Amino acid sequence: MISFPRLTKRQFVQSMIAGIAAGTAAGLPRTALAAGETIRIGFLAPLTGDVAAWGLPGLQGCEIWAEWINEAGGIVINGVGHNIEFVGYDNEYDPSKARAGASKLVIDDGVKFVMMLGGDTWPAVQPVADQTGMLFSTLLPSDLGPDTPTLIAPAEVHPIYNVTGVEWLAENYPELKTAVICAQDDALGLPSVATYLAAFEGAGIEMLEDPLLFDPSTTDFAPVATRMLSSDPDIICLDTCYSAYVHPLMEQLFQQGYEGQIISCTLDFYDQITAKTSVEFMEGVVFQFPDFDDPALEADNVNFRDPGKFFDEFNERYPGQWGAVSWEYAAIMDLWKWAAEKANSVEPADVLAAMTETGQGEHIFGTADWWGEDLFGINNSLVGNWPVVVVENGTARIKEFRSIPDWYARHGDLLKQYMTDYGLMWNQR
Amino acid sequence: MLELLLQTGLNALYAAAYLSLVAVGLVLIFGVMGIINFAHGELFMLGAYVVVALYSGLQMPFVLVAAIGLVFVGCVGILMELSMFRQLRGNPLGGLVASIGFLMVLQALVAMGFGVRMEHVPPFTQDVIILSERVRLPVQRLIVIIVAVMLLVALWLFLKRTKFGWALRASAQDKEAAALQGISLRTTSLIAMFIGGALAGIAGSLTAPLISVTPTMGHSVIVAAFIVIIVGGIGSLEGAVLAAFIYAFVHTGVTTFLDGVIADIVGLALMLAVLVIRPTGFFGSADRA
Repeated sequence: MISFPRLTKRQFVQSMIAGIAAGTAAGLPRTALAAGETIRIGFLAPLTGDVAAWGLPGLQGCEIWAEWINEAGGIVINGVGHNIEFVGYDNEYDPSKARAGASKLVIDDGVKFVMMLGGDTWPAVQPVADQTGMLFSTLLPSDLGPDTPTLIAPAEVHPIYNVTGVEWLAENYPELKTAVICAQDDALGLPSVATYLAAFEGAGIEMLEDPLLFDPSTTDFAPVATRMLSSDPDIICLDTCYSAYVHPLMEQLFQQGYEGQIISCTLDFYDQITAKTSVEFMEGVVFQFPDFDDPALEADNVNFRDPGKFFDEFNERYPGQWGAVSWEYAAIMDLWKWAAEKANSVEPADVLAAMTETGQGEHIFGTADWWGEDLFGINNSLVGNWPVVVVENGTARIKEFRSIPDWYARHGDLLKQYMTDYGLMWNQR
Repeated sequence: MLELLLQTGLNALYAAAYLSLVAVGLVLIFGVMGIINFAHGELFMLGAYVVVALYSGLQMPFVLVAAIGLVFVGCVGILMELSMFRQLRGNPLGGLVASIGFLMVLQALVAMGFGVRMEHVPPFTQDVIILSERVRLPVQRLIVIIVAVMLLVALWLFLKRTKFGWALRASAQDKEAAALQGISLRTTSLIAMFIGGALAGIAGSLTAPLISVTPTMGHSVIVAAFIVIIVGGIGSLEGAVLAAFIYAFVHTGVTTFLDGVIADIVGLALMLAVLVIRPTGFFGSADRA
C-alpha cells in the first residue's frame, strides 16, 4: 500500500503555486514546423472604438503584406517556404479584452508572434507574456521595462520621435518662441506630453500654460481650443490626440481664428481636416507620419518593399483609411521575417535572439540601434531616424529624417526629468 | 479676460442647447412611461448617421437631412415602444434592461452598415460671426442654438396648449387617473417616444459636422444627460433645461479655466451635491426621487 505524506492546507497551497510556477516557467513547448505549415501571427489591437484608427488600418496593411510575402514564397525556414496568416483579435483598447485575446491567440490559435498597439492594454497582457515566453511587439515603448524581456518596440518609438518635429520646427522657424499643448489624459497622451515638454524646453521654446488635459470621453472641443488660444501662443501642440479629437480640435482652432503654427504627433485622414478647414489653414502643419507615396521613401536607407505600391494598393482596397499605423505593423513583420529566416526558426526566443544579437537592426527608416536601457530599463526599442512631415499645398511631405539618439544625447536628461515628473519612468510604474 | 469669458459663454450656450434637446427627450420618456431609456445616446448617434448617409453620402441638402433625422429617429422611438416598452409597461427594470439591449443592437447595426471608423461629415457652412478678434461664433453652432430654442419652445407650447400635450402631462402625473379620464396610455407612450427620439435625433443630426461621428458616440452624451436629469429633477422638463444650462456652463467654464478632467469631476460632484442637498433635484417631486 502506498502512503502519501499528509499536507497542511498551507503546504498544499504552496505546493500548488510551486507546481504552476514550474509549469509556466517552461513556457510554450517548442514545435517544429511541418513542411508547408502556415505560420500564424497574432494581431491584438483595437479594431473598433475610439482607438481603432491605430489598430484596424495596421491589420489591413498586414493583410497586403502577407499576400505579397506568400506570393513570393513565404517565410523560408530551413529551406522550406511557409505562408503567413494573421489572426486578428479586437481588444477595443480594453485591458480585460486584451488579456483574453492574448490567451486565445497564444494558447488556442498557436501564433508565433503577437503585435499590439500597447498602452493601457499591455499591463493586462504582460502576465500572458511572462507565463508563455511569447514574443510581443508594441508601438509604445513606454510599455517597456526590465521585467518585459519578450516585449519589443521595433517600429514606432512613440512618443520619443516627437522630439524630431519640435527640433525641426525650432531650427527652421526660430521666430516661434512660445507654445501650449493639450492631450487626452491616458497612457497614450501623458508620455507624449512629457516628451513634447522636454522637446520644447530643449529647443528653447517656452510653454505658456501647463498642459491642458481632457477626459477621453470629451466630444465638444471648443472650450479646449478657447483655452489654448487665450494665451496667444506661437505654436499649438496637439500631442498624441486620437483622430476623433484631432479633427474637431483643428476645426475649432480654425473657426476660432487661429493662424499660428500647429504641431501634432499624428494627422490621420488630414484630407478630411482640410475639407473642414482650408488648405491655407493646414499649410505648414508639422506631424510625424508620412504618406507612402512620398518621394523621400524611395531612398536606399528605407527598409520597406515598394512603399509607393503599398500605398496605392492600400488606398485602392481601403479608400480613405490610410493612417499613421497602416504601414507600421507591416514594417514590424519585415523585421520579424528577417530575424526568423536568419534564425531558421519561428520560436519566439530564437527570433528575438536573432533580431537583437548585433545590437542593431534594420528599422524601416534605416539601420538603428536596440536602445532604451537609460529610459526604459531595457534595450528592446529599435531607435534611429524618424521623418518630420509637413503639410504643403494640401499634401503631406517628408522634410527631413532626424536622429532620435542624437537628440537624446543632448537632451536625454530633460526627457527623463519630465517622464519622472509624470510618474512614467519604468521604475515608477 | 472679458473676451475669454464671452467666448466661453458662447461655447457653453452651444453645449447647453444640444444637451437640453437630449435631456428633455429622456425626461419626457421617463415621465410618461416610467422607463429610463439607456439607448437614448444611441438615438443621438442615429441622428448623426442619418447625416453621414444622406448629407455626406448622397449630398442631400443639410436642412432636409436634419429634418429627416428628426422624423426617422422619432420613428425609431416608436419602434422601440411597440417592440419593447409596450410589453414591459409597469416593469421599469425590464424596460431599462431592454433599452440596454437595444443600445447594443443599434451600435452593432450601425457598425455593420457603416463600419467602425470615424465618419467624415463636411461642414454645411464655414461662416463665422466675428464679434471681436477673440470672440467668434461659428454659424453651425449658432444654428444648433436657434433650433434647440425653437424646438423647446414648440414642445412647451405643445405640452401646455394642445389636447395631446395635456394628455402627456396627465399621464406623467398620474397614469391611473389619466386612464380613468379616457386617455390612452398607448397613444401617449407612442407620442412620448416619438418626441423623445426626434429631439435626440435632431440633436445628433445638427451636431454631426461638429463632433466625431462613431458608433459609440452616444456614451458620453448619455452620461451628461443623466447628470442633467438628476440635477434638474427626474421627470421635470423645466428642470432638465435649467440643469443643462448649469451643467454646460460649469463644465465649459472649468474646462476653459482649469482642466477638462477636472471639469468632469466637477460635473459629477455637482450631481452628488444636488443629491445630498435636494435628492429630488431642482424641480423633481418626491415620488419620482
